[in-house]
Amino acid sequence: MINNGIMLHPASWFILGAILLPLFAKVRLQKILLLGIPIIAMFQINHLPNLFGVCDYLGFHLIFGKVDSLTYVFLHVFTLMALIGCIYGLHVKETGQHIASFLYVAGSLGVTLAGDYLTLFIFWELMALASTFLVWYRKRTKSIEAGFRYLLVHITGGLILLAGIFLKYMDIHDLSFTRIAVEGATIADYLIMVGFMLNAAVPPIHAWLPDAYPEATVTGAVFMCAFTTKTAVYVLARAFPGFEALAILGAIMTLYGVAYAVIENDARRILAYHIVSQVGYMVCGVGIGTTMSINGACAHAYAHIIYKALLFMGAGAVLEMTGKSKLNELGGLYKYLPYSMIFTIIGGISISGFPFTSGFISKSMIVAAAGEHHRPILMLMLLLASVGTFLSVGIKLPYFIWFGKDATIQPKEAPYNMQIAMFIAAFMCFFLGVYPEYLYKMLPYPVTYHPYTSYHFSETIQLLGFTGFGFFLMVKKLTPEPKLNLDLDWFYRKGALVFMWFARKPVSIVNDWVNEVYKTVGLRLTMVLAMGLSWFDKEGIDFVIDGSAKSVVNTGNQIRTLQSGKIQQYIGAALILMFLVILTVVYF
Amino acid sequence: MAKFLEYLHDHANIVKYVFFIFLIGTVVFDFFAERHEAHFWGDHIFGFWTIFGIFGCLGMIVICKGIAHAWLMKDENFYDK
Repeated sequence: MINNGIMLHPASWFILGAILLPLFAKVRLQKILLLGIPIIAMFQINHLPNLFGVCDYLGFHLIFGKVDSLTYVFLHVFTLMALIGCIYGLHVKETGQHIASFLYVAGSLGVTLAGDYLTLFIFWELMALASTFLVWYRKRTKSIEAGFRYLLVHITGGLILLAGIFLKYMDIHDLSFTRIAVEGATIADYLIMVGFMLNAAVPPIHAWLPDAYPEATVTGAVFMCAFTTKTAVYVLARAFPGFEALAILGAIMTLYGVAYAVIENDARRILAYHIVSQVGYMVCGVGIGTTMSINGACAHAYAHIIYKALLFMGAGAVLEMTGKSKLNELGGLYKYLPYSMIFTIIGGISISGFPFTSGFISKSMIVAAAGEHHRPILMLMLLLASVGTFLSVGIKLPYFIWFGKDATIQPKEAPYNMQIAMFIAAFMCFFLGVYPEYLYKMLPYPVTYHPYTSYHFSETIQLLGFTGFGFFLMVKKLTPEPKLNLDLDWFYRKGALVFMWFARKPVSIVNDWVNEVYKTVGLRLTMVLAMGLSWFDKEGIDFVIDGSAKSVVNTGNQIRTLQSGKIQQYIGAALILMFLVILTVVYF
Repeated sequence: MAKFLEYLHDHANIVKYVFFIFLIGTVVFDFFAERHEAHFWGDHIFGFWTIFGIFGCLGMIVICKGIAHAWLMKDENFYDK
């Protein structure tokens, strides 16, 4: 059916790994898989043919693997990030968490390689589903609730995307996933764009991100911060370069995220808002649409994945060791978690774009592209956002966790595997900063940009230096407060209450009335019917398939007990279901 | 490592002065930076990014904190009520 080996696709390895993980965990060898699979994938992406996994199904032309210069840079960073994330999570014993992250990575790789919208959609939904489990595995009530909101929002986004795909198919009967021209864009294309934008967390449909990520597990958040939004950047860069709406919304995004990060209290929520902000640079770069800005968006996606993961790993290490992530409850930890501190600060200066770090060579490419495209307002917005970035992540976050007032907690330093993962990420931040050609060579277009000019250097150190001075002046005003900040999730979190009232009051009244009618008329009829059917079931069917009814009842009882929170069994069930679906697809 | 950090923490004044010298250095450096690719008028003014950085930072703190206190900030159990 698929004319090249199925294991050619790097996502297949992660799915295979997810299936094998429970077996390996039984014999305590899951660490081999956790390290082995990402390493295999890292090698494999270098040897992919330009086109593979092509098959025709139900009249649709499905392309599982399409590789070009835009794909490679994303595949490279996704597999590298999978390895770093797996090292960071090596100490986690719960197999289910690893399964969820493997499937999540598989979804992301699948989207990156997809050559048509249907394939893309399948992996898109796999990503949404798998990542939800990374939130649920935290197992606190807040996380369960946040996970449901996350899933609902992503299902909505998925449906918008699917609607776009349907309309597109009706229009042109071609679902190949290629660049869409700005002039010829139809309503179908815009629906697809909105579906993509939701995953890129573009305001006003961004609130799922700072809502869910801080509630995810420590390792889950490290994975989540890397894949969903950057996959969205990739699909936007492939399909929608040059769309003006993206340029403007991207620039707004950078400031929106930063503004919330300045007022937030929870360390991981600050970082989540910074994803919104940083992805804004990439969306803006895609929207500007010149070769330089697309290059910049890809370069920034690469650099961003590494340093953002580093920051989440640092904040995660603090959360893991102290059980706290709110800045007002932390402080004075430099004596106890010094290495985590150094690594987090390296992440902080990279995201701010200090010279010799990865942010300096990637972010500036987008800013310069905005300048060269004669968009000074966009450029100033992006630069103002980098001021806010340094203020909130470069200084505020480390200051209030590791210095500030003493929180009188004395945690131990994070486990070795976490430190190794942070070291690799921190090394990459500097490596890309001092040797940008390594990254520039991977970019889709030839690079003519040179980051290390004396003027760019001067501009950056002035901006960052005086932001530091501003913090020094206003440090009292920035003291974190144990409060919650309203964001646009207010609409559905409060809106849900209205819906619930509607369900309880008017709908319930109608329901009661229908019930009465049913009781008097329908019930007797149904009872007679049911008695007949029950007899037939017991005497007729169970006679043939002995005892199956009993086993169904047993399974039902087991499913009921499952809901007490054993999520790995949910995933197992989901996997089996998926496996069955694939089998059906392949054989019929 | 922890000892070194402890030392810096106890001698915050040294850190402060080093930082101020660095700030002056950045502005001085700007007079010598070549500006061959100016993107807009601000690129021609010496020390423009100093002004932009300091006012951007202060403005952002004041505006964001202002809006937060006036409107956005709620109790942590706001959504549970």
